[in-house]
Amino acid sequence: MSLELIILLAMLATFALGVFVLKVPAGVSLMAAAIVGALVGGEGLPVRHLVEGGFGFLEAILIIASAMIFMKVMDATGALGTINYALIKTLYRWPTLLLIVIVVFVMFPGMLTGLSSACILTTGALVIPGLLAMGMPRLAVGSLIAMAAVFGEVAPPICIPVMIIGGGVDMPYIGFAKPLFLASFPLAIATAVYYRYRYLGTFDITTVLSRLKPPVYDKHGLKLFIPLVVVVGYLIVEQVLPEYVPHLGVPLAFMIGALLGFGTGEKFSFLKVSRSAIRDAMPVMAILVGVGMFLQIMTLTGVRGFLAISALELPQQLKYLTVLIMPFLGSAYASASVIGVPLVFVFIGKNEIVVTAALALMAAMGDLMPPPSLLCAYAGQMVGEKNHFKILRQSILPIVAALVVGLAIVIYAEEIAHLISAVSGSSY
Amino acid sequence: MTLKQEGRSYRHIVTAVIIVAIFAIGAALASVDFLAMHRPDVIHPSAGLTGTGMLSDYFEEIKGTPGDTKLYFYDSGVPGATVLLLGGTHPNEPSGFIAPVVITENLQVSAGRVLILLQACASGFTCTDPFEGCPQSYTLQGKSGPRKFRFGSRVSNPLDQWPDPLVYLHYPSGQQLSGFETRNLNRSYPGRPDGTFTEKVGHAIMQLIEAEHVDVAFDLHEAAPEIPIINAIVYHEKSEDVALGAVLELEMEGLHYSPELSPVNFRGLSHREWGDRTGAMPFLMETSNPIQGRLRGRTNEDLIVKGVSERYKQALESGALRIEYLPEGEPLERRVGRHIAGFKTILSVYNDAHPENPIVIENLPSYDELMANGIGHYLQ
Repeated sequence: MSLELIILLAMLATFALGVFVLKVPAGVSLMAAAIVGALVGGEGLPVRHLVEGGFGFLEAILIIASAMIFMKVMDATGALGTINYALIKTLYRWPTLLLIVIVVFVMFPGMLTGLSSACILTTGALVIPGLLAMGMPRLAVGSLIAMAAVFGEVAPPICIPVMIIGGGVDMPYIGFAKPLFLASFPLAIATAVYYRYRYLGTFDITTVLSRLKPPVYDKHGLKLFIPLVVVVGYLIVEQVLPEYVPHLGVPLAFMIGALLGFGTGEKFSFLKVSRSAIRDAMPVMAILVGVGMFLQIMTLTGVRGFLAISALELPQQLKYLTVLIMPFLGSAYASASVIGVPLVFVFIGKNEIVVTAALALMAAMGDLMPPPSLLCAYAGQMVGEKNHFKILRQSILPIVAALVVGLAIVIYAEEIAHLISAVSGSSY
Repeated sequence: MTLKQEGRSYRHIVTAVIIVAIFAIGAALASVDFLAMHRPDVIHPSAGLTGTGMLSDYFEEIKGTPGDTKLYFYDSGVPGATVLLLGGTHPNEPSGFIAPVVITENLQVSAGRVLILLQACASGFTCTDPFEGCPQSYTLQGKSGPRKFRFGSRVSNPLDQWPDPLVYLHYPSGQQLSGFETRNLNRSYPGRPDGTFTEKVGHAIMQLIEAEHVDVAFDLHEAAPEIPIINAIVYHEKSEDVALGAVLELEMEGLHYSPELSPVNFRGLSHREWGDRTGAMPFLMETSNPIQGRLRGRTNEDLIVKGVSERYKQALESGALRIEYLPEGEPLERRVGRHIAGFKTILSVYNDAHPENPIVIENLPSYDELMANGIGHYLQ
């Protein structure tokens, strides 16, 4: 058995021991796993590497913290409840359409920002109360939102995993819209329809509406939505007209949105709302710190290279199955960078744009998978489920479906490219 | 509050204090390492040096910022071509820095002049990339003793430019790249005077090329063994004759280089923008560097200097990927030797094509000499 495999097993065992036996938070277990990995790998206690890895996701941590504060403010002003109420009241007669609209709505921030976490923390948070009120089980709601977030991350116009792979192989981000659409929207709609028929029973709209927070639109009018319009508008305009809009960063945009909440709706205490938001976000932020340390030690000790080479060395007949390893690299971005780049070369000869779009889908699944299961942790936090692995278990069927579709796109990349060319008239 | 609740609250406070103390100690220890990255590398220029300047001499606004960097002049005083050599565009590509260091410490020029920017992305030398597990420095044995050089980041330090946008839109083309690339000097050209920190550095380098009437410009790099553009000379279409001539000459010396034409639709890179926007003939050279590769095993100083990776050997033997990696490894001598050989040969072919505007350089080691004697033999 190679040393790298021993290190990996020691890290995974430490993580499992922490989470399942000692009931330590997942973030702390990941930090402990990183330390054990370094010790087993003969690196001692590499403090600099642990700190560097721990800060690797600083931007994501700031986005989560600020987005949580923003959404809590939206909840406190009544904007969240009003949107939910209006959405369900308008579409309850067509539950299948309602679910599809909800899934696309949740995907929207991911499509614009390339961040799956933004989907759960913004639009996901908006629709969760409505879905719960309609009687959809808590775990199913968490799972649906987490899956929609993954599809939002993959969907065009912005797909960061593709950009990461493209950066590694010197491929400009041109011509990806249609393949990414193909890799995300059909799956998203199929998932919405499946959850509609599997988990959404008949419901009495009066009861559902009575369970929701009452709308406050009549009291406050359109100004209720000013913070939402400003934040979403800024994120769109920043992408579309970067020449004219200063780059503030997503966390600052959310904080500005949160401050704009004053006077737009119901009164609230900013300090109380912020404390509550940070308390809720803390477990997820700790996971990000832990994942960062975990990834850094994996690279330092050679485990990352071991995983990459193991994936690439599968027999020729199983070449396509190497893409199935992508979701198990800790996160979408890590997966895209570590294994996505070499895989583009493995599949040289096939249409590289279509292949890369499919690899982005496979990589994005990494945000759901353990050990960190980041999206499941976010979704669990939102629906009030402490054990986020239950969200993961609930998502197994759509995950498998997405993996099969991703694999099929890689296998039939050439045919799909011809099809896109024929339909759109553009060459691939 | 009951006695039980009071006890629990007390325990929480104690736990919090312990955790904060542990993290504070960790941060203090790590900060010593991080701050060490700001100590400049020591360079001993050869006797051929005729002057020094700063990059900010060409764009005042970067003066005193971490983007400012030293410029070395080797002017023969004899009319001829002006050559610019850029090292350290990506501070995590050691041969792209050490080859210019060897040149700086040995060069003599007898016609024309050579300008050297050793650390084009000076900011990137002050940090390493998270998740890459890289060492912060490596040591080479010079004539006067051990020489320590920093191993940095591919991009500018986030302390100098932050936050990254979600998507980097290259100016002026509007090309989209991942947000991380916004701090990549070799995606920033032509830069702009009122742009980001990295765009300002890119702009300053463009100004330097224009102001000094640079005829031939080099940008030295390394890349992962699995990247197709490796052991390559990337050239702009106007540099094609010289590039292909040099590739042939190098082939006759037993050194294989792939000639790669700069893609027209991939913007922001030196070989594209310098060629399109200035009078210089640009050349970018790449060597194979396992520490940048995704398949590498343990990440340490040995991997930088000796370039031996069992995982790449394994990949080579299995044929899982097309990679450029020698079974015995890709030592720094070999990578530096290739860069210097490419540099000398391109200038030699340029001289053949432009006898009216020569550049004559001397006292640089050959590839074979570097392989035989080691880099240290050519460092003070």
